[in-house]
Amino acid sequence: MSGSVSSAPGTIRALQAALTAEHAAVYGYGVAGAYLTGSTKATATSDWVGHQVARDHLEAVLRSLGAQPAAAAVAYQLPAPVRNASEAVALAVVLEERIATAYLGLVALSNASIRDYGAQQVQASALRAAGWRGGTVAFPGMTASALATPRKRS
Amino acid sequence: MAAKPTRRVVLAAAAMLPFVAVSGCEGADVLATPPSPAPDVTVLREAIAAEQLMITRYTTVLHRAAVANGSAASLAGALEPLLAEHRAHLAQLRSRLIVPAGSKASSALPHERAPAPVPSGVSAGVAFLRTAEQDAATAMLQRLRGSPSSLAQLFASIGASEATHVPVLNAAAARVAP
Repeated sequence: MSGSVSSAPGTIRALQAALTAEHAAVYGYGVAGAYLTGSTKATATSDWVGHQVARDHLEAVLRSLGAQPAAAAVAYQLPAPVRNASEAVALAVVLEERIATAYLGLVALSNASIRDYGAQQVQASALRAAGWRGGTVAFPGMTASALATPRKRS
Repeated sequence: MAAKPTRRVVLAAAAMLPFVAVSGCEGADVLATPPSPAPDVTVLREAIAAEQLMITRYTTVLHRAAVANGSAASLAGALEPLLAEHRAHLAQLRSRLIVPAGSKASSALPHERAPAPVPSGVSAGVAFLRTAEQDAATAMLQRLRGSPSSLAQLFASIGASEATHVPVLNAAAARVAP
């Protein structure tokens, strides 16, 4: 991100939400990687490192805005038990979906550089998720409520 | 419950402008100049036109694959889900555009130049789609600036979806002999 970034509360909140999602992803990939082998483990390791880089970047941005970055929790409640490779892959998909949603929060901000960064991260997350899922989706990161068809005025 | 205005691009607001102006003292001449659409309306129409074009391209390649022999016929399994996602993109983009009665907002957006035709041959067609998807993902990101928040999020999500189509098409291209 470059240029002047606002330290408005909404900006800080969105950056902290993205950081929190990255903390969870770093933790989650650590769990998932323990159940994977071979190429899938290598992919998980690469993604884990990528999330660490993104986490560090978000922390630096927050500090530059005078905000204290949200700290990682000691442990995270996983969305579902992880006991084998299949469940580890499912966890990776969920982590990426949550990451994409969090970065869409940055896209909603008016600052151009944050918006661009958020969109790039949504794209990166969607690519990782598609790799884990083995398929694509039409609206990465978008919640059902965000996609609900607006009602016509009567 | 009425929809939130921030979730849709409201053409009606622009359409009301002449009536506000005529309440001053300019007379009927003011009505002769239709208002320019808001920038986000223009960019939304561009996105709609781009999705329509992509759907046409997929349909063309799928039709060719259907009449081809060998591995090309199996392309449908790879391409049809991507086509379905483009149709979902188009439907969602259209849902953000409110067209006042009597306006011509649904008319096709004129292209600066005619879009490149899909090259003949299934293999070349798949390669063409791959490049088109990459270009579409880039173009979608370029639409972010200046767009309202909810529309920017939709553009970012659709652009991400289109970026994920590229590896699928890479794999499909590898299965089709040139």
